[in-house]
Amino acid sequence: MLLMSRQAKYLLALCMVVVLLAGCTSKNNEPKGANDTPKPTDSATAAPSETPKDDGNTPKAGGTLTVSTFSDIVSVNPLFLQDTASGDINYLLYAALYNLDRSGNIVAEPWSLAAELPEISEDGKTYTIKLKNNAKWSDGQPITADDVIYTINTTINPDVGSPGIATLDKVDKAEKIDDYTLKITLKQVFAPFQYSLMLSPVPAHILKDINPKDLQKDPYGKDPAKTVTSGPWKWTEWKTAQYITVDADPNYWGEVKPNIQKIVYKIYADQNTEVQALLKGDVDTTLAIPITQLEAVKKNDKIKLITGRTSSYEYVSFNFDPNNHPDKFVPFASQKARQAIAHALNRQGMVDNVLKGSGALMNSPFMPGSWADSPEAVNYNYDAEQAKKLLAEDGWVAGKDGILVKDGKRFSFELQYNSGNSRREQVSQVIQQNLKDVGIEVKPRAMDFATWIDQNITPGKYPAILLGWQLSNPDPDSESIFSSKYFPPAGQNTGWYKNETLDKLWVDGYSTVVQAERKKIYDQAAKEISTDLPYIFLYQYGNPQGIGPKVNFAEEDAPEPSHQTGYFYHIIKWWLTE
Amino acid sequence: MTEFIIRRLLQSVLVLILITILTFSLIHLAPGGPFQIMLSPGLSPEAMETQARNLGLYDPVPVQYFRWLGDLLQGDLGYTFKNHIPVGQIIWPTVSNTIVLMGAAWFLTLLISIPWGIYNSTRVYSLSDQSASFISYLGFAMPTFWFGIILQQIFSLKLDWLPLSDMYTMSKEGDLGDLLMHLILPVTVLTLGFLAAYVKYSRASMLEVLHQDYIRTARAKGVREGRVIYKHALRNALIPIITVVALDLPLLVAGAALTENVFNWPGMGRLFVEMAVAREYSVLMAITMIVAVIVIVGNFVADVLYAIVDPRVQLNKRGGKAA
Repeated sequence: MLLMSRQAKYLLALCMVVVLLAGCTSKNNEPKGANDTPKPTDSATAAPSETPKDDGNTPKAGGTLTVSTFSDIVSVNPLFLQDTASGDINYLLYAALYNLDRSGNIVAEPWSLAAELPEISEDGKTYTIKLKNNAKWSDGQPITADDVIYTINTTINPDVGSPGIATLDKVDKAEKIDDYTLKITLKQVFAPFQYSLMLSPVPAHILKDINPKDLQKDPYGKDPAKTVTSGPWKWTEWKTAQYITVDADPNYWGEVKPNIQKIVYKIYADQNTEVQALLKGDVDTTLAIPITQLEAVKKNDKIKLITGRTSSYEYVSFNFDPNNHPDKFVPFASQKARQAIAHALNRQGMVDNVLKGSGALMNSPFMPGSWADSPEAVNYNYDAEQAKKLLAEDGWVAGKDGILVKDGKRFSFELQYNSGNSRREQVSQVIQQNLKDVGIEVKPRAMDFATWIDQNITPGKYPAILLGWQLSNPDPDSESIFSSKYFPPAGQNTGWYKNETLDKLWVDGYSTVVQAERKKIYDQAAKEISTDLPYIFLYQYGNPQGIGPKVNFAEEDAPEPSHQTGYFYHIIKWWLTE
Repeated sequence: MTEFIIRRLLQSVLVLILITILTFSLIHLAPGGPFQIMLSPGLSPEAMETQARNLGLYDPVPVQYFRWLGDLLQGDLGYTFKNHIPVGQIIWPTVSNTIVLMGAAWFLTLLISIPWGIYNSTRVYSLSDQSASFISYLGFAMPTFWFGIILQQIFSLKLDWLPLSDMYTMSKEGDLGDLLMHLILPVTVLTLGFLAAYVKYSRASMLEVLHQDYIRTARAKGVREGRVIYKHALRNALIPIITVVALDLPLLVAGAALTENVFNWPGMGRLFVEMAVAREYSVLMAITMIVAVIVIVGNFVADVLYAIVDPRVQLNKRGGKAA
């Protein structure tokens, strides 16, 4: 039985990113010229026989795209995907059943394995999926329902140790109807399951005879020669800690063929060198530009910056368990006190000064720009007077040292964050100052990340924390973070927050598959959660992607920073000019 | 002498064993060890246990230690925790890459610094001596990564004479000319860093010898100045220099993480930092072991070289007793 949700598995990945990016914040100015790219005359790819004019406006086949990043892959085997880098390469090498469109809906693209959207039964429990009948593995074998069923059954086999098990834990059974049709039955209605269908199948004919326990040790996913794939590019080389190369597969089955012939995924140990390489032209796209380097990139007008809404957001989480507070007194126990804190914080100031104008305010836990992003969420403007008024109404009066007191207890709490993360360090100082202005004492405390997660976050033992989430998909279901069903250590409601209205809304939200109905429910949830404030939602943040002059794409194929692998959004249609 | 060598060898083995015990236990005592890091956070407790058992992680630490030692003695460095890749496959290429970089820098350093230091010792406070001091201070004071960035800015980005980073251009792997071009900037950075110490050492070492009685005697006997310097003084002055050189030997393999990072050189220093972040303990263990072996070999080589250079060691040999 698994209690962790989809989000759970991204915690560690996020954490690693956070550690690696320590000190790097983002700046999301308007895309510089991202929209100036001339629209190609034909948005479909050019047939190889055509000889288009090289004016940069017409897609043409050929060329090498060099992508830079800062971490190596672990394994590209879809069964064991966990880290960002492996996810990036997986995206290039494998076709998924379904892909995401820009606003976060699953779609059957020409490069998706499914032929059409899944047919969902009346009771919402059965998904019938039709596959394209021309899809092939890179070794020429057809991709069939057997591959998908093998992938699902292997993922949910606990002996395998697949991190994807959390995304498929609602599956009761997967059955074959014919070679290109399968039926998945769920144990209960669970609407977010549609996003689990973005899975990439693995080749059953290669893996089925391997003992499930040995799959993780198998060279499949680590040795390019032994890794049979399904996507537009095939794996040609991996030099540990240096680079990964993929080449367009001449036998790729899809109707839309990739223009870019070779992609080099180059690993840089130093982010400054990485950015210099982008400026020099050694690299064509840098996936995450640290904020300290952003000015240098902006000065170079050949580099496009891709910014905008992101899928990572930062928050302050309150702990409601009295055992985590001195004298078992929870200073922010009342809703009014939390709303006062929300008003007291200068969130726009954080965005302007710490994120250097990038990022955007966040008021609810739903992915910005997606269908679930709700206007119902309450936005607390920076208003110290309003904060003081709410605190007075809540019964707080100024003590001798200027700090508010109620029932003889001072309004004072410790705010933990991970050391080495300069963004959080700066923001914690802003929070300390902002709250001091309204009579609340905050004691920021930097903790070693691994120890912190182990001893404070997972068991839910902290007074208050400053941390972030990365939303792995656009589904607004956040039950495992906010529902009282998910208290630590099994769940991720690490602040021991209990709100019966919300508890029920989460269940309602995933118990119908009709998106319009879900939207209404999450509007209510957004309103409730932003009124009751288990978290203070601060802002979205992310590192801009930099793109060099060689890279071209139509406006509709531009990178989408709110998706997980969004920097490669529609990369199959991109093309290069010298 | 043979007895001396054997004793030194036995000592070295003992030290190595102690190092393995120390590193192994330190790694297993550290919080959030390989156990937690390698397991997927989304796994159910049962599945985690299955996996941990499959990998032998539930065995007591001494059992794990002897298994690891046994593998090591057979030349097996183990596998990475995260993706089960043989550790050797990751480490050996970086060792040779680092030797190329550090070897070039070191060779250049010795080539410049020892003659220069000797020359300066005979012309104290001359222009040459003053500039050596200046460069030494510069080398000491300037952070290597900062100097590296400055060189990149000037010679790669502004002038476009030299490549920015890496060991080879992607399409030219194995091309010696391409490698040399890529070596220039990092070697310059490293050499300037080393130079400071070595020029000072050889100069100071020479000066000390030059004030010895036997040098005065040699001069009084009317020996030519060149012969005094290069025959009588230099041989004695080289002993402390050899010590320093031998003790720096491990650097050849351990690499210089900062310089390797700035120039994206695929070497061992960079690998060590990356693996520490990724908590790949088996790789860290292997690197520590390799460096430890070289430290011990370095000391050994230093001792043997003494015997060649130091006339007093030769005297002991005749006496049949090692001091």
